[in-house]
Amino acid sequence: MLRASGLALIALLVSLSWAPQTTPGSLRGRVVLPEVPPSHDARPTVNALAGSTPDPVDRRHAVVYLDAVPRRAFEAVPTRRVRMDQVREQFVPRVLAITVGTVVEFPNNDVTFHNVMSLARSNAFDLGRYPRGQTRTVHFDTPGIVPIVCDIHTHMSAWVLVFSHPFFAVTDTAGRYTMAGVPPGTHTIKVWSELGQAPDRRVTVSPGAVVDADFRVERIVR
Amino acid sequence: MRLVMPRPARLVFGLLCLAWPSTILGQTSTDLPRPTGPLRGGEVAVTGSPRTDPLFFNYTSYEQNALRLARLRLLGEYRLPGRLALLGELRAENTEVDIPALFLRWRPSARAALHVQIGRIPPVIGAFGRRAYGPDNLVMGYPLAYQYLTSLRPDALPASVDDLFRMRGRGWRPSYPIGATTATPGLPLVSVFRGDTGVQVHWAAGRISVAGAVTLGSSARPRLRHASSGPGLSGRVAVQTPAGVTVGLSGSRGPWIDRTALDLVPAGTNDRADQTVIGIDGELARGRWILRSELWRSSFAVPTLSSSLVARTGFLEARYRFHPRWQAATRLDHLTFSTVRGSQFAGAPTPWDAPVWRVESVLGYRPARRLELRAGWQHNWRMGTRTRQRGFPAVQALFWF
Repeated sequence: MLRASGLALIALLVSLSWAPQTTPGSLRGRVVLPEVPPSHDARPTVNALAGSTPDPVDRRHAVVYLDAVPRRAFEAVPTRRVRMDQVREQFVPRVLAITVGTVVEFPNNDVTFHNVMSLARSNAFDLGRYPRGQTRTVHFDTPGIVPIVCDIHTHMSAWVLVFSHPFFAVTDTAGRYTMAGVPPGTHTIKVWSELGQAPDRRVTVSPGAVVDADFRVERIVR
Repeated sequence: MRLVMPRPARLVFGLLCLAWPSTILGQTSTDLPRPTGPLRGGEVAVTGSPRTDPLFFNYTSYEQNALRLARLRLLGEYRLPGRLALLGELRAENTEVDIPALFLRWRPSARAALHVQIGRIPPVIGAFGRRAYGPDNLVMGYPLAYQYLTSLRPDALPASVDDLFRMRGRGWRPSYPIGATTATPGLPLVSVFRGDTGVQVHWAAGRISVAGAVTLGSSARPRLRHASSGPGLSGRVAVQTPAGVTVGLSGSRGPWIDRTALDLVPAGTNDRADQTVIGIDGELARGRWILRSELWRSSFAVPTLSSSLVARTGFLEARYRFHPRWQAATRLDHLTFSTVRGSQFAGAPTPWDAPVWRVESVLGYRPARRLELRAGWQHNWRMGTRTRQRGFPAVQALFWF
């Protein structure tokens, strides 16, 4: 499901003849996800004096991305600061897609302490415990899929997808996405979702064109 | 007309009144509906040590060696209509199977952080009871306050101080002339591995939480059924400061002697049979450090003795995570007892049980999010008429789901 190898393949640069002065196109569409009952992934609070009520887990977001892009796309990857909040014992947003070099802020806006960390092979980190009102940051410098967890609250988890190019888009809650600035040419489009897999699609983007590409994620039965 | 309420009922009523206008809980941050249906979870923990424990430093009231233990916990929560939930735990430790918790949780208001729990409930006092399992317990063993067996037992009583002296350091199998003659273990100061039967109210507002309970037993002797005199009362107030320090103050008072033993006490002795416990706990969590400490004073009233038997204990523990997968933790623990005079020891004031020191250090590695492997060393000293000590290398594998 994670298809980490899929992201790793991004590093295998395909040399396409993309002239920078060519007008880019756009991709848009919808990713249909399997129906899942609402859950907050919490464990029973038998030992606690009272039960906390974390927010439901929002699994409705997927990431659409180009599998291979022209060499030039790697040369000037935009970096920025983005935020993954901690509210009512959930990460918000639950899915974040960024480029290599981006700094992600993890503010704590809950009453309780949080301890954001990841045991991912790439980008492993541990921000330690910090209280409400504080923000810790992580600099993601390696492409890959980074599962994020809170070491205190086992029901808290999130995903950060780190790309080495800028051609990706996160769907909204209805599954819609728009990816602008796509270099003209024929591309393989992939979808990442924590809920399952969707077949790759190959589409041809003409200069200035808007191409529709829909996907249906099928749940993986283990 | 004057409303007359028994003291336990007044306590619960007071907490309810205090808690009613409590924190307003917001709506969800998403447009998703609140989940319904059961919650499930559990834990598997296997702890092993190549050394035997002939001095019974690590034996629990479950009669298991805490460093030679295979434990399975299955937790369940089923949500019912009307903000009710049924919660329970099934626990197997080596060959013992128990249901230490089975209770109904009621949340009177959807907007207030107020909970009422009825049934076989977890203990209110202290902080360790809520983190005794899995990775929340920083080392492999348990604190002396919660595990070490004193020489007092609920179903048999010493007739004199000399009877106590004869059982010093023999909490694993104390025996006394009054009461049961079968061999059973003594009592820890605070029992967190068995639930008590009763009613519990918990309220939280911001950085303050208050909890109180009326139960059948005491902190050392939780009970499933009524088998002693009077109810037990317990409570805890905890405050979390913005600087990351959590401080809790706990207290409890309840019957610790079984009715079967009390009935055998000779006439003319006092009728005191309560255990009174006061404790303070603190936690400082900052960055990769966790520092925790608890201090306890427990007083056991014994009908056949003129003065109560006091035990004092405290531990200090720390954990440092020096890598997302690696951490080190240490706990220093001490248990001591008040002095009494008998005909032994030349009539000199002598602790009624043998004081104990314990040091434990553990190195932990997490190959996966829900799996932790540990290795460490625990050393114990018992200060009896002569000091006896025992060290235990141990390893542990923890998996929780």
